[in-house]
Amino acid sequence: MSMTETFFPINDLLRRKFQTGVIIIGLALCVASTLFVFSLGNGMGVATFATTENKLTPGFAIVFSRFVILAEILVFTIGIVTISFLTHTMMSQRIKDVGLMKAAGCPNDVVFSYFMNELVIVTLASCSLGVVLGILADYVSGGALVGMGLQVIPWQINPWVVLAIFAAFVLLSLIVGTRPILAATRVRPAVALSPSFSYGLSRESDFKGVAKAGLTAKIAIRSLFRRKSASFQIILCLTSVFILVTVSVAGGIIANETTGAWIERAVGKNVVLIAHHEMTIQYELLMSKFYTGAPEPQFNYTSGKYLVSDQILSNLSLMAGLRIDPRLVLEAQINEVQGFVFGQQTSETITVGDSRKGTSLIVGVEPDKVLSQWFLNGNFLVKNETSDAVIGDTLAAKMFSQPLNQSLKLLEQTFQIAGVCLDPINGGNVTYVPLETLQSVMGVSEPNIVMVEISDGINRTKVLDELRKTVNAIDPEFEVSELDETLNKQSGFLEHLWSAVMLLPVLSLAAVTLCMASYVTLVINDQREEFGILRAVGARPRMIIKIVMTQSSLILLSSWAAGLALGIITTVLILIPEPFFAGSTVLEIAGWLLAALGILLCSSLYPALRFARKPVINTMTHQ
Amino acid sequence: MKNEELAVWGLLLCKAYPVGNIQIEVLKNVDVSIEKGRFTVISGDSGSGKTTLLNVIGGIDRPTSGKVVVLGEDLNAQDEDSLAAFRCSKIGFVFQSYNLISTLTVAENVGFPMEWLRKPTDYVEKRVQELLAMVGLGARAEHFPFQLSGGEQQRVAFARALANNPPLLLVDEPTGNLDRRTSAQVAEILNALKDEGKTVVVATHDEGIVKAADQLLHLEEGMLTSVDD
Repeated sequence: MSMTETFFPINDLLRRKFQTGVIIIGLALCVASTLFVFSLGNGMGVATFATTENKLTPGFAIVFSRFVILAEILVFTIGIVTISFLTHTMMSQRIKDVGLMKAAGCPNDVVFSYFMNELVIVTLASCSLGVVLGILADYVSGGALVGMGLQVIPWQINPWVVLAIFAAFVLLSLIVGTRPILAATRVRPAVALSPSFSYGLSRESDFKGVAKAGLTAKIAIRSLFRRKSASFQIILCLTSVFILVTVSVAGGIIANETTGAWIERAVGKNVVLIAHHEMTIQYELLMSKFYTGAPEPQFNYTSGKYLVSDQILSNLSLMAGLRIDPRLVLEAQINEVQGFVFGQQTSETITVGDSRKGTSLIVGVEPDKVLSQWFLNGNFLVKNETSDAVIGDTLAAKMFSQPLNQSLKLLEQTFQIAGVCLDPINGGNVTYVPLETLQSVMGVSEPNIVMVEISDGINRTKVLDELRKTVNAIDPEFEVSELDETLNKQSGFLEHLWSAVMLLPVLSLAAVTLCMASYVTLVINDQREEFGILRAVGARPRMIIKIVMTQSSLILLSSWAAGLALGIITTVLILIPEPFFAGSTVLEIAGWLLAALGILLCSSLYPALRFARKPVINTMTHQ
Repeated sequence: MKNEELAVWGLLLCKAYPVGNIQIEVLKNVDVSIEKGRFTVISGDSGSGKTTLLNVIGGIDRPTSGKVVVLGEDLNAQDEDSLAAFRCSKIGFVFQSYNLISTLTVAENVGFPMEWLRKPTDYVEKRVQELLAMVGLGARAEHFPFQLSGGEQQRVAFARALANNPPLLLVDEPTGNLDRRTSAQVAEILNALKDEGKTVVVATHDEGIVKAADQLLHLEEGMLTSVDD
């Protein structure tokens, strides 16, 4: 073998195919997953926010964007920790060889060049491969997501981002990898050759309780303690991954259910709409604006034919088991009215807001009859407050600076803003005011839609039939329609978005799976001779597997528990206000997270099985 | 000689290792028979195949061809699990480089082969004390291997090899890494084992040990060139 500074590293890497392969693929996946998440997150974000005005309301979009940003931060952190772990591991495994070369008289600078060149080759190869894989993953998944009808702008690769990620990871690998090489070239050969140098063999375990454990646990735990640095790094790496998986999976599911619940509360479940058939179509269009972004046509809401007659209302009020919520829906221009707040330090009065104008959907409701229960900031309308208003979150974001300290003007009537609600109707561009006030302002005496909730205890089909007959008998142009289909479409749209978020940790999980395999390979290499002795003295192959699996399980379970706890705390306390989830959700989340744990456990099993199949004599000699 | 009187019987044993495209023959048609209760020394230059022969006899390595029967068991016919159980109960190994488990204390290193045979804890503790006292390391039971000298580690290795009271003891270069005084202590242990009537096979160059042998097998470039009784 040629010992030039170029050929030695190449030959050395080629000879150790498995270890080299694991390191290169692991590093490449780190780079790829970071690139993928940045790009896909950006693509999803751009697509989502570009259409926010017409689709997702800011209240929903903010929860979604928080997830994407957090996923990006976590994936980058995982990338850094993984790269640090893998390069450190790769170089730590070579410390003995450094000692051997120095003992044989090889000058320090030549030894340093050999291993630095090896590090540079591995780093450049893996980062380049990572960039290719990342771009490919983004291209394929972006296309697939668009095919699934998701809001993603595919192929949003920014060459500067690619270059920045490539450079960051190359630099980081070189810096982290150089440390153990430098450390090894600085120490005396005898010390570098000693096993106590690389993994702290000369330090006894601090954990005295181990003495009472069984043989397998004793060897496993003490081995973990003696390579504290590597164990700590892999735990940190896995914890970050489990936080990411928990936030993406648990958060995705909880956010999906919570936002779904917000919509359900705003629209109302099992609610039917009674209106003129043209009005029904228009109302459904307004509802679907949230997920289709379809603009509503010009529509004369207050046309006489759309108004609900007194006869219909009085007949409905005679039917048992119904809750009736009459509404007047129309579109009108509103004006922002400035408000005043007291300065916290100076006690001066500060003017907030401007005098912006805009068109909003105006909905007049009877506060004590409203069926919806919005997710609210502030308060809803109350019966005797005739000049209060509640606005949708999109309107609040577009037209008001501090909505709860401001008012709005509709025609000549001023309304004090009491609350801001999350409502999918008209994409959140909505204003709720008292029905009576709206009727007097607009000069309209009747509502134009009636929402009806059928009580749980009674036969729904029968009541619906009766409703249809009653309404048709009075005015055949009017119809009774169920809103559940629209509600399901809205929930389905949110589910699509969240399932895209749940894709984000996949590549990180793949990278860390290899990281785990690499760690187990390190464990086996480190304990190879001892495993050989154990087998020579009479241990069965499965005992070696048990020792390795005990170590992997301890690492995995501690990271899993920490990641799970931090992930849940992050999700429930920071990302989603007022989280909503059912008992079955907890089981679903547990299933996903256990699957992630299982994948990592299996990945750690492979090197152990591979090793256990080797003949005893091969395990006793370090290869 | 009847087969049941033999501790080790090997016929036409060959062992070759592939190195690239070349096969390196380490053992070439070795016929070997060792009687029970005898003290046998395998001698030969470095690379002559002494350690490989010991490994084949101990079931750590399998011959490329040939038959090996140890204590009545045909080792070629056994799978890895059976071989492991056989080594644990019937064979005591002392390796050239001591090969103690660095994460276990001296007492644990001696005790673990007994744990595998599910011996009661009280028995294991008593036996460990007995064996450590025999090799003069009773006071070092709770130390870790890195806290011992080479000679002390070698004596722990002997204690471990004797843990399950195996009928056959295989010892590889026991004095190769030791000074003269410590080598003499090891020779004393071997003599004591010989007096106990154990079958002991030692691969060594050490003149002192060679002189005490009942049987001397000499290997040269993988071939058994002489057998002296």
